[in-house]
Amino acid sequence: MQASRARLFKEYKEVQREKTADPDIQLVCDDSNIFKWNALVKGPSETPYEGGIFQLAFSVPEQYPLQPPQVRFLTKIFHPNVHFKTGEICLDILKNAWSPAWTLQSVCRAIIALMAHPEPDSPLNCDSGNLLRSGDIRGFQSMARMYTKLAAMPKKS
Amino acid sequence: MSKRDALPCADIAVTECIPLPIRLEFCLEIWLTKVLCKFFANGACLKGDHCEFSHDWKDPSNNLCTFYQKGACSYGSRCRYEHVKVSTRQSSVASSSTSSHQFLVSDSATASGRLSIVPGVTSDLSPSSIPFFLPVKPAWSQTSQHQYLSESDDLGDFKSLDPADLPICSFAAAGDCPRGEACPHIHGDICPYCGKNCLHPFRPQEREEHMKTCEKKQKKLEALKHSQEIECSVCLERVLSKPTASERKFGLLSECDHPFCISCIRNWRGSSPASGMDVNSTLRACPICRKVSYFVIPSVIWYSSKEEKQEIVDSYKEKLKSIHCKHFDFGNGSCPFGSSCFYMHAYRDGRLEEVVLRHLGAEDGHTVIAKNIRLSDFLRSLHIR
Repeated sequence: MQASRARLFKEYKEVQREKTADPDIQLVCDDSNIFKWNALVKGPSETPYEGGIFQLAFSVPEQYPLQPPQVRFLTKIFHPNVHFKTGEICLDILKNAWSPAWTLQSVCRAIIALMAHPEPDSPLNCDSGNLLRSGDIRGFQSMARMYTKLAAMPKKS
Repeated sequence: MSKRDALPCADIAVTECIPLPIRLEFCLEIWLTKVLCKFFANGACLKGDHCEFSHDWKDPSNNLCTFYQKGACSYGSRCRYEHVKVSTRQSSVASSSTSSHQFLVSDSATASGRLSIVPGVTSDLSPSSIPFFLPVKPAWSQTSQHQYLSESDDLGDFKSLDPADLPICSFAAAGDCPRGEACPHIHGDICPYCGKNCLHPFRPQEREEHMKTCEKKQKKLEALKHSQEIECSVCLERVLSKPTASERKFGLLSECDHPFCISCIRNWRGSSPASGMDVNSTLRACPICRKVSYFVIPSVIWYSSKEEKQEIVDSYKEKLKSIHCKHFDFGNGSCPFGSSCFYMHAYRDGRLEEVVLRHLGAEDGHTVIAKNIRLSDFLRSLHIR
């Protein structure tokens, strides 16, 4: 309990110090609860998510960093490894390949990498996975692009 | 001979004694048995009849000043213990040289309350005792002036002796001698490691020893300095700045060189695996590089080379080897680690366990080491319906 708090506080300080180091990730801690974090990540370039800003919600367990944080997308995203309704992410480092050397910042980076390299063989979003597996790259890209425009981009009006 | 004489073994030293080793041992034995046991005097000597000191109230207690033996007693002539060098006495008795006569002078010196400077004192620690004595003397007294002069006379004696026997100035050796150039004692050469004037110019062996220990100390200090900076990747704190002393230790992994606190890495390896986590590939792996290590080595210092790491690992294993294995339990239990256990496998009588490995040739030509059959082997293959 104390250890997780101390570690999160360290991470908080690190994020404050290196705010400009990674312009793709903006990590903020809940004002009243250090176990709740929010992150805004930019969609990687040359992917259908480019230009979109996706919001992630972190819920950190008390056993952190011995146990991985729970992360989910708050922004709707069309991606084979993200549950379309709940935003749950299927990523090995958040489950069985977790290591205490990961930080919230590095988890964000891993999620960006996942967005760029979807893994259609273990899909949480079957529609998206099937499109990719059947080789319909164009279909997948246009769907993902549409949802990015709908949900992850500031509305022009 | 009387008991008082027995203490400094005077009769042997004064008369032209034949330096037979048997005679010396005999003399020492008498000397010990004639000294009242300190523990006995306080009412509790555990050695009882086997004590080499005397348990007879009539015998005098050991009246030698231990501080004087080490080089300097701040009480000087006011000390209620005798200022006589034991080691010098023994060696001089053995060699039966003329110096034995010289040291006897010191006996009379203590008796008369004068300073007891033993010419030809050889002890690596023995500093110049004179500066220690000076402040004790009242400055206005005539006698002190006289004493100082007589000391200078003694110093004259020093110079005529072999330079290797002369002590170096302890003030200079400690860092700074207030007398500087005017100091009557030899100032040692500067040690390249500690930067103090503590190398005796005429004792090569002592010099080497000092340099060796000094170099080792310096290296350790540097390693410690370097270790201060190192952070644990689990708690992200500096390992040697953790709040409790027990946490200020590194946990080295055998297969890679990533630093962790001992508590962090042990907690991680000991944590119950979450669903789907594989013990071997996740928990036993380094959190950073995922190389699997089967044990963690605690160390207060972080290494900078492979040899240093090996040294730490070896000394750790050496330490464990001296502890009885709780699984083996003096032969009553069985240790799941078998011959690769780090702890000692010894029976109650001190006999070490003899490991007999049974090599079985398998059909395909490979050799397998036969293990003891355990109940769990059967339970694993059991299907519970």
